[in-house]
Amino acid sequence: MNEEIYRLNCYVENKPGVLARIVGLISGRGYNIQTLNVGPTEDGTVSRMKIDVLGTAKVVEQIILQLRNQVNVIEVTSRKKLEIRN
Amino acid sequence: MNYCKERTGARALVESLEKAGVDVLFGYPGGQALDIFNCITDAKFSFVLGRHEQGCVHMADGYARSTGKPGVCLVTSGPGATNTVTGLATANIDGIPLIVITGQVPMSLIGTDAFQEADTTGVTRAVSKHNFLVHSADEIPEIVAQAFYIATHGKPGPVVIDIPKNCQQALTKAQYPERVSLRAYHPESAATASQLTRLAKLINEAERPVIYAGGGVIASGAADDVAALAHKAGIPVATTLMGLGSFDEHDPLSLRMAGMHGTPAANWAMNEADLIIALGVRFSDRVTGKISKYAPKAKIVHVDCDPASIGKNVAATLGIVADVKDVLTTVGSRVKKASHPEWIEKIDGWKKSHPVSWKQMHPNVIMPQAVMEAVDKATKGHAVIVTDVGQHQMWAAQHFRYSIPRHFLTSGGMGTMGFGIPAAIGAAFARPDHTTVAICGDGGAQMTFEELVVAVEHKLPVTFVIINNGCLGMVRQWQELFYSKNYSGSILTVKGRPANEHLEQDLKYDYLPDFVKMAEAHGAEAYRVIDPAKLDSVIAKAIKSDKASLVEVIVEPRANVYPMIPAGKPVSEMVFQ
Repeated sequence: MNEEIYRLNCYVENKPGVLARIVGLISGRGYNIQTLNVGPTEDGTVSRMKIDVLGTAKVVEQIILQLRNQVNVIEVTSRKKLEIRN
Repeated sequence: MNYCKERTGARALVESLEKAGVDVLFGYPGGQALDIFNCITDAKFSFVLGRHEQGCVHMADGYARSTGKPGVCLVTSGPGATNTVTGLATANIDGIPLIVITGQVPMSLIGTDAFQEADTTGVTRAVSKHNFLVHSADEIPEIVAQAFYIATHGKPGPVVIDIPKNCQQALTKAQYPERVSLRAYHPESAATASQLTRLAKLINEAERPVIYAGGGVIASGAADDVAALAHKAGIPVATTLMGLGSFDEHDPLSLRMAGMHGTPAANWAMNEADLIIALGVRFSDRVTGKISKYAPKAKIVHVDCDPASIGKNVAATLGIVADVKDVLTTVGSRVKKASHPEWIEKIDGWKKSHPVSWKQMHPNVIMPQAVMEAVDKATKGHAVIVTDVGQHQMWAAQHFRYSIPRHFLTSGGMGTMGFGIPAAIGAAFARPDHTTVAICGDGGAQMTFEELVVAVEHKLPVTFVIINNGCLGMVRQWQELFYSKNYSGSILTVKGRPANEHLEQDLKYDYLPDFVKMAEAHGAEAYRVIDPAKLDSVIAKAIKSDKASLVEVIVEPRANVYPMIPAGKPVSEMVFQ
């Protein structure tokens, strides 16, 4: 299977340790985060994380399922990122 | 005497643990946990002092595996917390509910490299289901309630609560909440109507079905429902290591354990099946072997409470994220009564031609498998068997017949040596009405032997059986089979050690330590058996004793665990001798 860049959109509780938990879950499985962007939403108790990660469809699906299992993760969506801007 | 006069965070913690229904707390004190220790002498629950924090966590784990209730453990900061890591990882991978409370340096000192400071939430993040760093005494009751909720809902697991000393000391009025609401964590999930319809259809249409039951069946309390489905639809049942006891191994439909050291009947049945009904399993590599060759003819139904487990290792025809018991109780009435005479006949043929068996290698040397049979005989199959990790663990899985859930406690996923002795002690605290027997190797027993004192102090009539083959048997077996008999690092006797260890071949010091003297020094009754003729009587005597006892059995060092499917190989490469 081909590796492609996926953009994960995570809505998480805005609490200490949540960012580390999510980043650790991805890096601990040997996957490299290409881009990471975190900021509070209009509801200050929720943060939105945009994570670009390189992986196969199967690996990314597993990462999403693991992210959804996290206690502080509200929602995760993903899409393939066809164009990489930089 | 009321030592804890003011309502501090520590006091609020103890009250919260009482409200959560804790009846025994395992732990080990230290500077940053002293405020909590000062309050537990007044608590309604009892306290058990372990001798090493790893032992304390394994005790709490043994308690949890034995009852299904969360085991609770209290340790100090820094080394106290880091010593819990192996215990946490062990519970995490096997889905065992634990609450581990760690002291922490005061908030004002966090990040200053203070004495006994470690980043506990950082260190434990990857080996726990969740962790909390308390920021104020007022948070403590709510966090305890959340921790118990998280530990026991969805796939169970260990939760760490790290409490800085200033939060233990600060005054608080916060009360334990009536109910827990977590904003983001809602693990409950049920099968949809169409999933249940498809499941019933697949079962009703199958010609060669197999139920494959794992630890999730035990966690969900679904053993009776598995038996009901198997009997109604005439489906044979294989289990994982963690699933032993989820289906009666005396039942004619039992295939017993599947996987690397599973029975030929279980592995061949999965290989030939047209439907595998996988319940509360995660398709470990120790079961599937080579994934691309696993169950090539089967449709796979995978029922598990963990959505991340479905499709992780094996693609499922039908994946259902739900509680196993809920699914089985609702699908039961839609499953037609059936029998599969040809399929059962084929399986019975495999069971007859390839039973679980072993051969005496030397007439005067005890075979380890005979020890399992002696324990089974002495306990009439009713004991809670707790194992360490290695060859003896596999022999214990193969040579007892398990019939009841929570009667075989083992570190399945992590394979943690040193688990057996403390976990057996935790199990004995949980179920004093049961006979508890720990089966350990000479390697693993030395890792946590200090906990034996706890069994002696508390007069727990646990029998610790040390299968002493003078080597790290499973490592030695792999070296014999796959590493040209280069026994590097795996021999524990002086005799036979490789030259790079530069040992004088002085046989006076062979078979160290002397487990009998060690056990006696810890205050336990102890016996050594070398003669096969005396095995049964000594084992029976130790098990009958109402004190903590240890039996060191010197066994055949060349004995290997068979059958074996080498790691990453398909079923067709099963080795029998």
